[in-house]
Amino acid sequence: MNGFHMAYMRVDLRTGESARIPIEAKILERVLGGVGLGSWLLHREAPVGVDPFAPEAPLVFAFSPLVGTGVTTSAKFAVVGKSPLTGGLCDALASSHFAIEGKRLGIDALVFVGECDEPSEWVNGILRPTQNWGRTARETAAALSKEGRVAAIGIAGENRVRYATISAEGRHAGRGGLGAIMGAKRLKAIVVSGDHDTVAAHSEEVERQARRLRDRARGDATAKYSEIGTIGNLLAFDRMGALPTRNFQESHFEGAEALSAERWQSDRKHRRASCADCTIGCEHRYGYKAPGGESKDVRIEYESLFALGPLCGVADPDLVLAAAAKCDALGLDTISAGATLAFAMECGERGELSGGPVFGDDPSEWLSLIATREGLGDFLAEGSRLMAESIGGDALSRAPQVKGLELPGYEPRTLQTMALGLAVGTRGADHNRSGAYEADFSEEANRLHGDARSVALAIESEDRAAVLDALVLCKFVRGAFDDLYDESATLLNAVAGTDADGAEIETIARRIVDLRKAFNIREGWQPEDDTLPARFLTEPIPNGPAKGVTLPRERLDFMIRSYNLGRGWTEVGWLPKEALRRLEVELDLEGLRSSIERSFPEGIIPE
Amino acid sequence: MGRAKAWLPWFGKTMVEHVVGVLQSVVNEVVVVTSADLDLPVLGMDVRIVRDREAERGPLAGLREGFEAASADATFVTGTDAPFLGSAFVEEMFARGGACAPLSDGHVQVLCAVYGPGAAEKAQMLLAAGKSRPRDLLESQGYQAIAAEELVSAPSRAPWEGFNTPEAYLSAIRSVDAKATCVVELLGRAAKQAQKLGAESTREVPVGTLGDLLATWPKKLGLVDEGRVAKRYLASLGGRDLVRDLSIPVGPGERISMIDALAGG
Ligand code: SF4
Repeated sequence: MNGFHMAYMRVDLRTGESARIPIEAKILERVLGGVGLGSWLLHREAPVGVDPFAPEAPLVFAFSPLVGTGVTTSAKFAVVGKSPLTGGLCDALASSHFAIEGKRLGIDALVFVGECDEPSEWVNGILRPTQNWGRTARETAAALSKEGRVAAIGIAGENRVRYATISAEGRHAGRGGLGAIMGAKRLKAIVVSGDHDTVAAHSEEVERQARRLRDRARGDATAKYSEIGTIGNLLAFDRMGALPTRNFQESHFEGAEALSAERWQSDRKHRRASCADCTIGCEHRYGYKAPGGESKDVRIEYESLFALGPLCGVADPDLVLAAAAKCDALGLDTISAGATLAFAMECGERGELSGGPVFGDDPSEWLSLIATREGLGDFLAEGSRLMAESIGGDALSRAPQVKGLELPGYEPRTLQTMALGLAVGTRGADHNRSGAYEADFSEEANRLHGDARSVALAIESEDRAAVLDALVLCKFVRGAFDDLYDESATLLNAVAGTDADGAEIETIARRIVDLRKAFNIREGWQPEDDTLPARFLTEPIPNGPAKGVTLPRERLDFMIRSYNLGRGWTEVGWLPKEALRRLEVELDLEGLRSSIERSFPEGIIPE
Repeated sequence: MGRAKAWLPWFGKTMVEHVVGVLQSVVNEVVVVTSADLDLPVLGMDVRIVRDREAERGPLAGLREGFEAASADATFVTGTDAPFLGSAFVEEMFARGGACAPLSDGHVQVLCAVYGPGAAEKAQMLLAAGKSRPRDLLESQGYQAIAAEELVSAPSRAPWEGFNTPEAYLSAIRSVDAKATCVVELLGRAAKQAQKLGAESTREVPVGTLGDLLATWPKKLGLVDEGRVAKRYLASLGGRDLVRDLSIPVGPGERISMIDALAGG
């Protein structure tokens, strides 16, 4: 089978020893790479119930069949682990040459287990003490760049901030605190450089398909991203009452214009860039005045902008851009950082937390305290769910999270297809594994009144995302496909020499979703975890264009039940015995069912 | 119409808010009957909202739901699309005593009428007998048909005059304010394109259909394609509906935002 190296490398950080472990072709055919392969490896390598910070907890870096083929946007890797923020499966993707060089080691994945005796770095098979502890990921990468491509953690990861990222070339495997797992292992950096090229089965066909995708990924299919970038969402969301503001208390921000791409493109220094192997180039960098008066620029995405701006009540562009740069340097997930700060701000207003930040505060100084876990920063570094549990009362109803993962910039009450996606996501509140917002921003669904149609669209969106994340291709090329499943099969067959068709690719997508869910069940998921914070189900939107809009609990519950049945699960969301048996057999996951039985008091898994 | 009538703008309010406001100045109990899945604007704690659970049984079934929820003996019934309804007219109708309805051009205006005591039970009986017209109910109550000319409080446009087409809605607006305007703003790529062409990205324009409004921008901008909003864009109407249909009317004071179709991500 081409396109894969048919093995992963397992690195034991206690000893520094690594072993090359073969992977059967049938497994790779059934989960592909990226998040599919990563989830499979997590199932195999993680002991049931493992503490994410324990030495035994594995951290997986998975590559994919398309990496190294030159197909546009394919230079991505997935990091998979048990999230210290959610306690469930977390998979995060990042684009960089690290993916290309990692795969050139002649493997499809790297799995790190154990814990280093002292702060260390792993450089092409050698584990050695690091001089880079205490430095930013960027400084670390610069120091190690001669030896290969680098993925590293920042200071937040070193201090096990539960939403620390892993950075590579300024891009982050951002969500769910995977950087904290690396920090717990005292692994500062991973450096890769190899010489095993990806040999496609039909290289001319790959070239033809790559050209086709590149051509179609020009123009309208991606122009929003290349011309405006994701920050173009901000003003549009504001106008639709979908812009989370002041910890989701409101959905419309009075300072939206000042933070808009429309404004910045005419009054700020602006330049574009792109990830490795990408012909779209959606990266937009904007100039800002740093606190010392110095002029700098920073890459900014909508998620960082909403979380550090409107969500925290900050309307000053320089403060928001500086905060985004700060997260970048410290290795903090901007969404969780902004949302945790916003939650603390509301708790402060309600007298539940003293001495904390207030709405409109410059986020940057708080971000430093979080990353170093100094003072109140230590509390904030735990994320909004643990904070709310510690504060008590009804704080949890206002903590902006699902399963512990902070919500992205989509107001669930006014984007009700997305509300479902956020509630059921295995990773927690997530806009990358569910692109259900696409249905909300179309004529297809009623975004203010979710129904059965929304459910079907949410399932489709998760399945499509699973394919893109397993191949791996950037979500921003999604508009370039007429039929994602058929065209993915063609691409895969050209690279791997397989003969998959669209239906099989769709089956793979569903299998990956099942696989993730099975992991969470294994680790203690319960039906009541699939919901939204009570605020969204009890409070109407108080003002702005969506004033009065509600998402009644019964409506969300109806959508969740329909979703579960649509996935072939039980009405409350358990994987039936038959689905588990299928996963066990198809993916050689012996013991999966028995490990899950402990979730059921009588040891009975539903049929 | 392409949009829910209840939500259409009417000079600073939505249509349903306008009608409810007129009624509240006359009566102390307002019940709004709406379809099973239509959300309504916030109408205040003292307005009861009931769902028409049997819409397939015709308009009388919906009225029955409303009568059941109302506690008064006499009930004035109006549609949501009643831009010219005034409080003096409603008072005059109540003053007639008992069931009554205007007669205009030979039509009994059943959705601008007063229904008498026991309306809920009578409606139920009629429905059971296979009758589904509100007029059957009025007839069962021995209603007075009042010639339109006899009504002293009717304004120049009849209170029962509704609208079923974009043109009729726009004409109603223009009859109140011939210079009524709305705001159209281009966001994202559309704004960038406008800037390149030297066109402004926000304009206040006379009310009209979405097509009328977009036609005020240079064709080169590509806002419209094949008789619809171009695929790359979507029109957000007042922050609620997302549409591409150019025949949809835009009301006074409304803000239309032309957004990128690939919103999100
Ligand atoms: S489209 Fe943007 S995020 Fe995707 S690979 Fe290209 S530059 Fe990176």
